[in-house]
Amino acid sequence: MNPVIEVRNLTKRYKDTLALDNVSFDIQKDTIYGFLGRNGAGKTTAMSILTAQNLPTSGQVRVFGENPYENARVLSRMCFVRESQKYPDDATPRHAFASARLFFPRWDQELADELIDEFQLPLKRTIKKLSRGQLSAVGVIIGLASRAEITFFDEPYLGLDAVARQIFYDRLLADYAEHPRTVLLSSHLIDEVSNLIERVLVIDAGRIIMDESTDDAREQATNVVGDAATIERALQGREVIHRESLGRVASITFLGRLDDAERAALTAAGLELAPVSLQQLIVRRTQQRTPHHDALAASDVTQEGVSR
Amino acid sequence: MIEEGKPLFVQIAEEVEDSIIDGSIAEEAQAPSTNELAAFYRINPATAAKGVNMLVDKGVLYKRRGIGMFVSPGARDLLLSERRSLFALRYVQPLLAEARKIGLGPADVADLIRVSAEPTTPTTPTTPTTPPTLEPSDRRTS
Amino acid sequence: MTALDSGNVTRPAASHSRTLNVVRLQFVNTQTFIWVPALVLGGAWVVTMLIYWILQGAGVDDVKIGGGSQAPLWYFLAVGIQAMTMTFPFSQAMSLTRREFYIGSLAAAGVSGLGMAVVFVLLGLLERATDGYGMNGYFAYLEWVWEAGPLAAGLTYFVLTMFFFIIGFWSATIFKRFGTARLVMVLLGIGLVLVGLAALVTRQQAWPDVWSWFIDTGSLGLTLWAVLVSALLAAGSYLTLRTMPA
Repeated sequence: MNPVIEVRNLTKRYKDTLALDNVSFDIQKDTIYGFLGRNGAGKTTAMSILTAQNLPTSGQVRVFGENPYENARVLSRMCFVRESQKYPDDATPRHAFASARLFFPRWDQELADELIDEFQLPLKRTIKKLSRGQLSAVGVIIGLASRAEITFFDEPYLGLDAVARQIFYDRLLADYAEHPRTVLLSSHLIDEVSNLIERVLVIDAGRIIMDESTDDAREQATNVVGDAATIERALQGREVIHRESLGRVASITFLGRLDDAERAALTAAGLELAPVSLQQLIVRRTQQRTPHHDALAASDVTQEGVSR
Repeated sequence: MIEEGKPLFVQIAEEVEDSIIDGSIAEEAQAPSTNELAAFYRINPATAAKGVNMLVDKGVLYKRRGIGMFVSPGARDLLLSERRSLFALRYVQPLLAEARKIGLGPADVADLIRVSAEPTTPTTPTTPTTPPTLEPSDRRTS
Repeated sequence: MTALDSGNVTRPAASHSRTLNVVRLQFVNTQTFIWVPALVLGGAWVVTMLIYWILQGAGVDDVKIGGGSQAPLWYFLAVGIQAMTMTFPFSQAMSLTRREFYIGSLAAAGVSGLGMAVVFVLLGLLERATDGYGMNGYFAYLEWVWEAGPLAAGLTYFVLTMFFFIIGFWSATIFKRFGTARLVMVLLGIGLVLVGLAALVTRQQAWPDVWSWFIDTGSLGLTLWAVLVSALLAAGSYLTLRTMPA
């Protein structure tokens, strides 16, 4: 394990809200992370602090082994693409890219030019006159072409249509394959990015609730559909994270893996097993406080125990 | 193509296996690289690498230093026998489970299979009911 | 077009080159840093000339002095505000430290202020040589400012430019960081301190001493004091920016 970012007991308190609540995690080198969670969960705050654009209330952040705050050596190796990035008033995309070329040592102009072409971005229009999608494209191009060793994309897709998003995903993967680097991708379109990301980091209400490989996360929960009473009997002792019912038929999502024998037994009992997508899993686990919250909190502890 | 429920790297490995089984990648031919797989299936290269490594561990692929991955001699036979042994579990058992649910016994199912496999019109070529014969694999060495 | 358009950029690495590049970044706003100051200066000059010409036509032959050359100085308050509000968030996206951004922005203002000072001195020299454009009317050649020579006059103009820039920049920083209420409170506080000082001087009946100090110190001396005050303001401004979230 080779962490490029180490976060320990990081807390960020705004006047009346706790944006980050004593979080600790590592980010491994040359890995694409999905940094997921609901709006206001603390994603942007965390990324701002990691890039020294914001200051923690308490706790420690190490990037490449150093404190990033006012540290040009560390900062010049990172790039943070914000969803609501502001640009100088008179700036055009051409200016923005020319600036990025000045400040990012690994900037690739050829890649930038190709992307400008693919996104059909007008270079000479001032940025404040661009559409929302074009504005996002400016950020995406800076994020990809800067080739920073750690790149943060904070919901970079707003206003981008499905075609443009696919361009972004494909380019990200292709360039990552040739120039491995660390990427933190924050997104609400979990299904769209789930195949791109190697690890998931899920934050909820200022706390990290999942930090594991995407493969493990996918197997974390199972959905079972069938006769309600049969299911209740079969799932005794399991942690249920969601239930719905239609008449006597229930659909229940529970945590934990099934071995082949258990699988066969459930199938034999006439129950249908279905996998739970990453998006479903995260939606279930970050939903507003439900009666199952306590069970969830308990499972968080065990999860952390496992992933450490 | 990509579905939930099975780890992604297993699915990638199976895609490569399918290409070997149907002969589109011959034994001793070069297999697609991790990056090619990642770009084609739009997945993280680490996941593709995991799939490739799984095939290496299984002896289906082997690495030639500085060149890339190649299909091992005998890989096709290996895969065929593995798939055949999995056939009952993967296809026959779910079939029987569904049949049981709607009141069909194993004999009914067998009849249905026989009928379905019969040519519907004289012009349709006969589908072999026996497993496909293996290609002569005279190039095999080890 | 602008500084950034000139191609062939060498790969940047060291922090001092990053700071210098902030100057280029700021000059993306050509309008803020070049065209509007030039327009204000040129406009003030034209208006002043028109007034002198009308007065001259009306037969007023006395020495005519106008305050038009101050106008661009005040505009630097606005330059300071815009340098902060428009470019700071983008500087953070470019992974700059606040120090690099701040020193680079000061340098950008310095380049602009230097240009203004040069124009000011050239106009003053012209006025001295032509006896106020033959109209006995002076825009830049203000005797009190020029008493220590053209270089000192240029320095005074430059320092005042920077002084206003820093005040504008700091105000914008306070506004962005703490909001309107805090900014108004700070400005009110400064106003109160000034009023308090004035009251003190009045009570001590020391106004004559104050005026004679101003006269004795002279424009160059006052300029040097302004350098000190500007440096203090600049330090305060940096400290406010240093811990400001983007």
